[in-house]
Amino acid sequence: MRSRILVLFSLAVVAAVLCLLPFILSDYNVSLVAQVGIFFMAVLGLDILTGYSGQISIGHGAFMCIGGYTTAVLSRDHNTNLFVTMLIAFAICFVVGLLVGLPALRLSGAYLALVTFALAVSVPQLPLKWSSFLGGRDGVQTSEAAQQTATNLWVYGVAWAASAILFVLAWLILRGRVGRAFRAVRDSEIAAVASGVELPVYKTLAFGISAAFAGVAGSLFVLANNGFAAPDEFGIFLSLQILIGAAVAGLGSLWGVLVGAAFVGLLPSVSSSVPVIGSAHGQDVVFGAAVILVMLVLPEGFAGLVARLRKLAGA
Amino acid sequence: MATAETSRLESLRNRSAALGAGSTPIVMLLLVAVAVALLVGSLRSATFAQLTVQGLAVGSVYGSLALALVLVYRATHVVNFAQGELAMATTYIAYQLIQWGLSYWEAFFATLAIAFLLGTVLEVTLIRPVLHRSVIAAVIVTVGLFVLIDGVVDWIWGGDFKFMPSPFGTRIYHVGSVSIARLYIGMFVVVIISVLLVWALFRFTKLGLGMRAAALRPAEAAFVGVRVEWMLALGWGLAALLGAVAGLMAEPSQFTLEPTLMQPILVYAFAAAVLGGLDSPAGAVVGGLLIGVALNLMVQYVPAITSELQAPTAFAVILAVLLIKPSGLFGHREVRRV
Amino acid sequence: MPVNRKKLGAILVALLATAAVAGTAAASHPGTPGVTKKQIVIGGTFPFTGPAALYKTIPVAEQAYYAYVNAHGGVFHRKIKDITLDDQYDPGQTPGLTKKLVEQDHVFAVVGSLGTAPILSTWNYLNKRKIPQVLVATGDAYWGQCVHKALKVCGGKAKPWTMGWQPDYPGEARVYARYILKNKPGAKIGVLYQNDAYGANYLAGLKAGLGSSKNQIVDAESYNVTDSAQVIATHLVKMRTKGADTLVIFATPQPTIYALIDRTAIGWSPLTLVNNVSANRLFLLSAGQNGASLNGVVSSTYTPSPTVQANLKGVKFGKSIIAKYAPSLNQSWAEGDGNLVYGLGVAWTFVDALKHAGKNPTRASLMHALRHLNESGHNKNPFVYPGMNVKTSNSRTFPMEQLKLIKWSGGAGGDWHSFGKLYTGIH
Repeated sequence: MRSRILVLFSLAVVAAVLCLLPFILSDYNVSLVAQVGIFFMAVLGLDILTGYSGQISIGHGAFMCIGGYTTAVLSRDHNTNLFVTMLIAFAICFVVGLLVGLPALRLSGAYLALVTFALAVSVPQLPLKWSSFLGGRDGVQTSEAAQQTATNLWVYGVAWAASAILFVLAWLILRGRVGRAFRAVRDSEIAAVASGVELPVYKTLAFGISAAFAGVAGSLFVLANNGFAAPDEFGIFLSLQILIGAAVAGLGSLWGVLVGAAFVGLLPSVSSSVPVIGSAHGQDVVFGAAVILVMLVLPEGFAGLVARLRKLAGA
Repeated sequence: MATAETSRLESLRNRSAALGAGSTPIVMLLLVAVAVALLVGSLRSATFAQLTVQGLAVGSVYGSLALALVLVYRATHVVNFAQGELAMATTYIAYQLIQWGLSYWEAFFATLAIAFLLGTVLEVTLIRPVLHRSVIAAVIVTVGLFVLIDGVVDWIWGGDFKFMPSPFGTRIYHVGSVSIARLYIGMFVVVIISVLLVWALFRFTKLGLGMRAAALRPAEAAFVGVRVEWMLALGWGLAALLGAVAGLMAEPSQFTLEPTLMQPILVYAFAAAVLGGLDSPAGAVVGGLLIGVALNLMVQYVPAITSELQAPTAFAVILAVLLIKPSGLFGHREVRRV
Repeated sequence: MPVNRKKLGAILVALLATAAVAGTAAASHPGTPGVTKKQIVIGGTFPFTGPAALYKTIPVAEQAYYAYVNAHGGVFHRKIKDITLDDQYDPGQTPGLTKKLVEQDHVFAVVGSLGTAPILSTWNYLNKRKIPQVLVATGDAYWGQCVHKALKVCGGKAKPWTMGWQPDYPGEARVYARYILKNKPGAKIGVLYQNDAYGANYLAGLKAGLGSSKNQIVDAESYNVTDSAQVIATHLVKMRTKGADTLVIFATPQPTIYALIDRTAIGWSPLTLVNNVSANRLFLLSAGQNGASLNGVVSSTYTPSPTVQANLKGVKFGKSIIAKYAPSLNQSWAEGDGNLVYGLGVAWTFVDALKHAGKNPTRASLMHALRHLNESGHNKNPFVYPGMNVKTSNSRTFPMEQLKLIKWSGGAGGDWHSFGKLYTGIH
């Protein structure tokens, strides 16, 4: 009972802070915190896949790519309402995720990582191939009206609202039967099958949900970038960033997701002022070193840290 | 004592060799057919020959990196996503040695030695501690390494183009109407020699036997006196060495050195390794050559497949092989789990 | 009493929040962004790393010229500060960096940004906010076509705040078409062009210039900016198979270098034309080092050569500026890096316009000055080719409309030499 009040209270504090920040921060910094919101959704999606259902993916940038381009193309060609495009991105990526999840059933561990890596490298090539429809290297720009609407503040608000909605959705899924099935699959596939969990259904479902979350993140990612979608934005490094965010978060923890997303979302802007390394690629050194350290020292990520601190405080 | 040890290892080796005997004849037949087709095609069309020659040269680079991936996988069951970046970093080290006054070939061999050391150190310090936990954790570490190495190279040398002297000069040989640059021949020969030397190491030396035993049957090998953990580290070192060869041969084919040198190549190396069988060294090299030639020919003769679709094609190959015949052309381990 | 304390706390927080809002509102800049009594802040995005990194010396040369101007009192006592950011020639990165320049660094104008695709990805944003996006380092025709007209290629809206500098790509391609038709009438042309708006601009110009002879183009191969040398080679092999005996390369520097090397490596020696943005002597030297046969390659220029025309007043002036304010580029200059002259030329035009924008320049007055340039006669830009001018007016939206053809001679260590007449009015 007490812990539930604590959880609700901390959620309220986070919500309050997020509501206040736009008043305190400059417009530019608001766009930075919006990036955190965007990564929150993608990292949350990957967390569900890897942390809860035990399937690894180094290809979530591909789903963000699909979601982002969905929004951009629909807006450019039909001036579709942006919220509608996000819903469509969610749906399309859910289906694509299911499709990827099917062959993934027969792959495990390193092999799945390999396949998703190849996916992440391949999907951004597709706009180059179908350049008349998908803009090629010149990219796709959302409509004038969409560009007017999607100000920094708008993106901030929608990104965090969507994050909240997806967070609640994840919580609902994971506390129910589906969540228990996911955890059973992660802990021991053989035991899960033995206890009657229909493996294929849940594993594929996890992929679909995970991809859908990344798709919405992709939509907002494009909108935050002045409504401009280009293939290079969705290169392999994006997928690696999401994985790093999930690793720092602590696979299997919803609270860690916030920390992981903040780490990945804010580091690029912060690292340019790091004195020694400084340059645009200073962030790569920090990202790489951070995730290696986390894996070596703190394998459960931020979530593990919190758990350990709790143990120390409680015990 | 020594004889008993060796003979137990020998029996291990015989047993493991027996495992793969079944599929090999069919595969060999297929490969012979492909070779004949390539020969016929090359004789009939100069363009075909040109593309095949280029494909073999580029394919040898894919094969070398694929071999590195296979060695690591065999030793530690980890797919090393940082193999390409490690290869790139060692190429930069060679560049730096040349800047400091060494000749190309002096720098080449020095770099191979440095790469070997680097590979072993990485395995001991970063991979071994995590390996006990899970394979996924080790994979994530290699992802971190990918990003870290990229950042470090960028930090030390900057992201702009560097120029290295060409090891094979710029001469071009003309065979009929086909132009074969000395560069292509050089790339192919260097990689094949490296691969043969590694094969000889595994086949004829006690160390090589120990490494194979440690990879295939660690418990029994340890029982017999093989220092398994050291063998795994050596496997990584050897892989890094082969990666360095791949990087050093990739650079002249690109005419410039930049941090993105190996990034496009990595996915093709993965495809080659999977096609050949993730635990088959020979398969990796054959896979590399096949993919190199196939991509070139496809882009020329299949109108629907343009150059943008090369990476997606590699993805399709990986997916298809893993779903249809996960052990690839030459592999013989049981790869699927429940 | 705890309840009252809680209420008090909430009121305090509300007051603080209001104060913060009011504070931020008050802190917003009065007057023109980027202009203070002592300084003018401008910025731009350039490829310091990535596939177009061979252009990275351009912004350094521009900053050298601004340093020279600052050392001589600046413009109306204001020193020019130029913030350059690396977008790696990636139109996906340019919007974020441009946003940073505008919203965080509050620049007066975005000057000299490089790349067709990067400009296209940010021109909506800048034009909407009425921020000058000027002297962009790309020759697409849009920068001239979209000033007054709301054409489809302009995204349906005029872009009066965007402006180029160099002669436009379609115009350049038309000159090459005329050259081919005159010097090799029955030529079978193979075109290698970049798969984006940049490359498409050139190809359209070539076709327009060939007119009724445009089916002399036997093969047009598009490549992607990140393609490897191998892939470029396969395109050339395809062209040769289709019977091309003339090769026109509309590419950025690195693929151009690959194409020049590859065509020799596959044993092909067609008449070769190269677009001027990839004809920097340094680029050709590195192609030559790797075995490319260079003699007879044709291109064009609109700036003087630091090597061949070293005795021109403007060239000497340029050399002295680089020596004093960017000495790390001395070696580059000595080897004939055309990027440096280009950068000095662009910076010169910016300062020229700034001087004509008034003692208290605004974005509108800067734009007006840039749309009424007259760099000729006594006000000649020392860094453009002798005899060429830089002019704009209500009817003339392309600042430079002249080109001179150049041909390479001297083998792997040779140089460009101009020949023939001065092409004018290249549209």
